[in-house]
Amino acid sequence: MMHFKFPRALALAAILAGSALATLPAMAAKTELTLGAAAADIGNLDPHYSASTTDRTLVAWIFGGLVRFAPGTTDPARIEPDLAESWESSPDKLVWTFKLRKGVQFHHGYGEVTAEDVVFSLQKAADPERSAFATDYASFDKIEAVDPYTVRVTLKNAIPSVLGPLANYAGGFIISKKAYEERAETFSRRPVGFGPFQLDSIEPGVAVHFTAHKDYFRGTPKLTKVTYRFLNAAAARDLAFLAGEVDAATGLADPNWLKRTLAADGTTVDIFDPAELTVLHINTKKAPFDDIKVRRALAYAVDPSRIATYRGTEFTRVGKSVIPSNNLGYTEDNGHVEFDAEKAKALLAEAGYPDGITVKMISSQLPSYESSNQILQAQLQEAGFKLELQPVEHATWHQMIRQDLSPLVTYGAARFPVADVYLSQFFHSNSAIGSPAAVTNFSHCDVADKQIEAARVETDPEKQLQLWQEAQRLILEAVCGIPVTETSGVWARRKTLDWGFDFQGSMSLGPLVTELTHFTE
Amino acid sequence: MTDATITPSQPINRRSAFRYFLAQLNASTWIGIVIVVSLVLAAFFAPQLATHDPAHQNIMDQLAEPGSKFWLGADQYGRDIWSRIVYGARYSLTIGFFAILTALVVGTLIGMIAGYVGGRIDIIFMQVMDVVLAFPSLILGLALVALMGATLSNIVIAIAFTATPAFARIARAGVITQRDREYVQACQAMGFSGPRILFRHIMPAILPEVMVMASLWMATAVRTEASLAFIGLGLAPPTPTWGGMVRDGFDNILSSFHLALVPSLAILLLVLAFNLIGDGLRDAIDPRLKDAS
Repeated sequence: MMHFKFPRALALAAILAGSALATLPAMAAKTELTLGAAAADIGNLDPHYSASTTDRTLVAWIFGGLVRFAPGTTDPARIEPDLAESWESSPDKLVWTFKLRKGVQFHHGYGEVTAEDVVFSLQKAADPERSAFATDYASFDKIEAVDPYTVRVTLKNAIPSVLGPLANYAGGFIISKKAYEERAETFSRRPVGFGPFQLDSIEPGVAVHFTAHKDYFRGTPKLTKVTYRFLNAAAARDLAFLAGEVDAATGLADPNWLKRTLAADGTTVDIFDPAELTVLHINTKKAPFDDIKVRRALAYAVDPSRIATYRGTEFTRVGKSVIPSNNLGYTEDNGHVEFDAEKAKALLAEAGYPDGITVKMISSQLPSYESSNQILQAQLQEAGFKLELQPVEHATWHQMIRQDLSPLVTYGAARFPVADVYLSQFFHSNSAIGSPAAVTNFSHCDVADKQIEAARVETDPEKQLQLWQEAQRLILEAVCGIPVTETSGVWARRKTLDWGFDFQGSMSLGPLVTELTHFTE
Repeated sequence: MTDATITPSQPINRRSAFRYFLAQLNASTWIGIVIVVSLVLAAFFAPQLATHDPAHQNIMDQLAEPGSKFWLGADQYGRDIWSRIVYGARYSLTIGFFAILTALVVGTLIGMIAGYVGGRIDIIFMQVMDVVLAFPSLILGLALVALMGATLSNIVIAIAFTATPAFARIARAGVITQRDREYVQACQAMGFSGPRILFRHIMPAILPEVMVMASLWMATAVRTEASLAFIGLGLAPPTPTWGGMVRDGFDNILSSFHLALVPSLAILLLVLAFNLIGDGLRDAIDPRLKDAS
């Protein structure tokens, strides 16, 4: 009997082992992703108001646009179809017609995405009462639904990039009209889009939970759940990452951090575009900075190279204009000044402050801001500026600086990489804090309005570039802002996590999680 | 126990009473006193003891290890930790001392009036104190500082506010036990005014207990100040506060743990010292408690 039993038992074992091995990869590969972010909470998930890095990162998972930046890039030349499967323009480039994909479904059973939703979304994005990005649509004349799957956009004048404001970024996100009307004010915490992940729940200050949007038109996402945890303290975030509690985490633009993180087993670091340009915005309408001499003194007092060294040259370079260096229209030939403490002191004395001057600044407690501001504080001290920092929590800081409460505002930002956007949002008088269409013009700058507006409608590319460059010169001459540094985004990631694309850049300033994102084991 | 032969019937010489009191202090109390005195001296002579300007940054020295240039290392901005610790002592001690002094004066006054006058005044005063007492001191301090802004005087006021009820309670209890004693009745029979009886006759009797409370609350005040600074509600940078240094050090705790460890030890030492003194004073002033423990 033994003679027969043994091979049979062996065969059974082989079958069991074989089947176990065959199912092993499927069983082992994780499908739940947890991210740890340098943020305390969400602000506003209505994509047309999402301004903070966290809000922008999350709305990019929830929503889509007519077109999108190829995942992993921030290159306007690589914009590809998203909701729109094709588009065409009239010969004068003023009328654009978009054909929509059929059968694209919104989250939570809100039905198919139609031209009506697109028109509603874009009209909302262009309305300063319902959007923070209305200025991006100043040249849009009409947005109409030709039929349920065709949208026509008519422009007042040709603009540098039509696809830019229609992409998966800022005002370009398409929201569900029905959900927006039903959910009213709560939409900002209960958003409905058609992106690969739908918002499941928010635990204030703890985490935001997402589930896969099974009907996503590019296919059901490989991940089933995504959790975005708020781990604002850098050390806590690092520990959570090293302990395996989170699969990827916001990094620090700090050489020590980089060394430490890469030394850990199975980890890698993504350094990506767009580099956020930090500008020290100066309120030009209030004393003492209403005096150009004091502003010029401040410009000489800032030494960006020291901040860049502190941050690490892997991530940070010196800012040389009031718009990011990747922008179309950027120039360094703009009269920006180099650090010179003695000149700063002399200018201050000339302005009537021979013994120096004390100025207050509300400062975010986000580690990157906190450290930059402390370095700035020490530099300014050398040049006669006593900078009194008033540290507040990051979300509070966002609110306070929008109420003109801080004469100086250090603000890091990256926008759609065409000069018009950054210039309009930060230096055009329409965007000034306190105005109806207020965006982020903290300095109340108005010296380059004419050039910014003219460039927007200029059809000759060469002349357009000249206008943008002149705008930068005028803004720097009036010292509305002082360029400080440009810092790339940085995230730590477990090597087993595959974003599903080559992560070189992200318009949302954080990692894009798509239907292709998965774990390799 | 020969000291116990001192009775109220004998004339009390102040100097001998003080010597008697000192003799009652145990060794750990003396350790506490030595630590506090050393730290007070360090704070006072901070400019002489510091080897660097505590706010001076040098990016090239960031996260320097302890050594001959930086005795306790340098932080992420290249600032000398030793210099920041000795200057930081100034803020911890100043805030602790003035917060508790304020709480002592205000709380004791409230408690004494409530206890002596009694009736409706007592009920109102003490219920207000109970409401304040119901909040954990850190939460209350946090709310007040967030509301008023993190300046030196506001932090002192916030911590004083949280400590006031403790003094009010102990002063009231003391006054209530004293107010029916014969000597008080004698004072009243002689026609002394209420304030005179309260401040000249009753107060000296309750003061020792209040002082014990003060030394114990000094520890709490130092801890609260450090906690506020740690959560970002301390004095604004670049002021070196111990709690703020722990906070700053946290970002690099995985590679340079001394940044957070050194100020933590400083806080530990000061809090421990105040607790030792408080315990010792309590034992010396009320030997019954010592026996009970």
